[in-house]
Amino acid sequence: MTIDEPHTTLLLAIADDELILGHRHSEWTGWAPHLEEDLAFSSIAQDEMAHARLLFGLLEGDEDRWALGREPSGYRNAVLCERPNRDWGFTIARQYLYDLADDVRTEALTGSSWKELADLARLMRLEERYHLQHARAWFERLAHGPVTGRQHLADGLEAAVPEALALFEPLPDEGSVVADGALPRSSQDMLQEWLERVGADLEAASLDFVLERHAPVGEMVPTGSGEVPVAEPLTVPGVARRDGRWVHEGAFAGAGGRQGQHSEDFTPLWEDLTGLYRAHPGARW
Amino acid sequence: MVKQADELRDVEDAIRGALASVHDPEIPPLSIVDLGIVERVDVMAATVEVDLLPTFAGCPALDVIRADTTRAVGDVAGDREVTVRFVYDPPWTSDRISPEGRLALRTYGLTPPGDRPGPVFVPLATLGGGPRGAGGAGGAGATPATCPFCGSADTELESAFGPTLCRSTHLCRACRNPFEAFKPKLAG
Repeated sequence: MTIDEPHTTLLLAIADDELILGHRHSEWTGWAPHLEEDLAFSSIAQDEMAHARLLFGLLEGDEDRWALGREPSGYRNAVLCERPNRDWGFTIARQYLYDLADDVRTEALTGSSWKELADLARLMRLEERYHLQHARAWFERLAHGPVTGRQHLADGLEAAVPEALALFEPLPDEGSVVADGALPRSSQDMLQEWLERVGADLEAASLDFVLERHAPVGEMVPTGSGEVPVAEPLTVPGVARRDGRWVHEGAFAGAGGRQGQHSEDFTPLWEDLTGLYRAHPGARW
Repeated sequence: MVKQADELRDVEDAIRGALASVHDPEIPPLSIVDLGIVERVDVMAATVEVDLLPTFAGCPALDVIRADTTRAVGDVAGDREVTVRFVYDPPWTSDRISPEGRLALRTYGLTPPGDRPGPVFVPLATLGGGPRGAGGAGGAGATPATCPFCGSADTELESAFGPTLCRSTHLCRACRNPFEAFKPKLAG
């Protein structure tokens, strides 16, 4: 089973998002603004890593090897997940955008023709609902709170939105997993639903300006040994309001996380995440 | 044939009894049967298969539960080969906890899970001029957890997240005790 087999790619895209963002969430352990949030992000990290573990379990081979034994170019997470936590505003903005995307994605996957994946999607959704509610509660709290917090949230959203669009970067060879029903909805179709839901929330908070004013996606650099073929940097669709609806215009071009192209932030994370495993191959917990 | 069937039934009874003796290491009074995670027991001539459902996917107690279950079943399974595995269909939900299990939670000082998914509360929501409990605090329609110490329903949610994945933290306004509740895990 190679990384580039379409079903494996589909599964790794989800599992790696959960693993890598779970790792970032875990960095709040001991550092969150107060104890309850320390527990919240630690718990959410524990859930996300457990989901990654369950998903890796559907692939042949050792789950630790999947989680920790790949070169950086073998990871299929979206770049959004690997970005450092920055501040609380970015952390909440990213968690909100990601968990809403995860909600759209896991709901679609409950109808997957890959039965084991559909089972896991159902199971994950029971836990993810708490994550999404947590993000929403903080989103509202910051959006309607004092102006400093609101500005941090707006800045975080502005930074996160373009790379959040790339959560729906089409998978290589996506057509084959859509055709056999393993992925019941195309990435483009899911992106549109996500965008409409995000747009409605942002409008309600008068923060929708971040959708149209977003910065271009940061330049992707090849990771690892340098043997990765340099692909065109990823560009994401633009966002516009047409006839009362938020729609994406244009298409993805170049290659991003779903094709193993990561940002300069990935290598330090990867070294941290996999250091023990690389130093002691085959180590058991 | 009849004898063989009788023997199988006796072994199955013994295995059911053994399963009831396996307890959640994080909630000692609660057996895995009352927790509702025993999905299937299949006793055959040479093998015993037990399927368990994980409560929360990231719960570190799961490996301990599997090891304890394998040992307890192995003690009464004779020469049969015992296989205990976790399965994910159907997903475990908190309404699988039996009435005895809910009582065991109370005796342990943990409020049993409510009958609908719990809200998520942002601590400090009263600071800074924001509306109290605004934004997905989810108070509407959610039943407050009753205090396991004094029984009062005059309680407030402190956080949907607690010391373990399955627990939320609360404060009782009546007896002023902080307490924990088993988090509802339900669809919908």
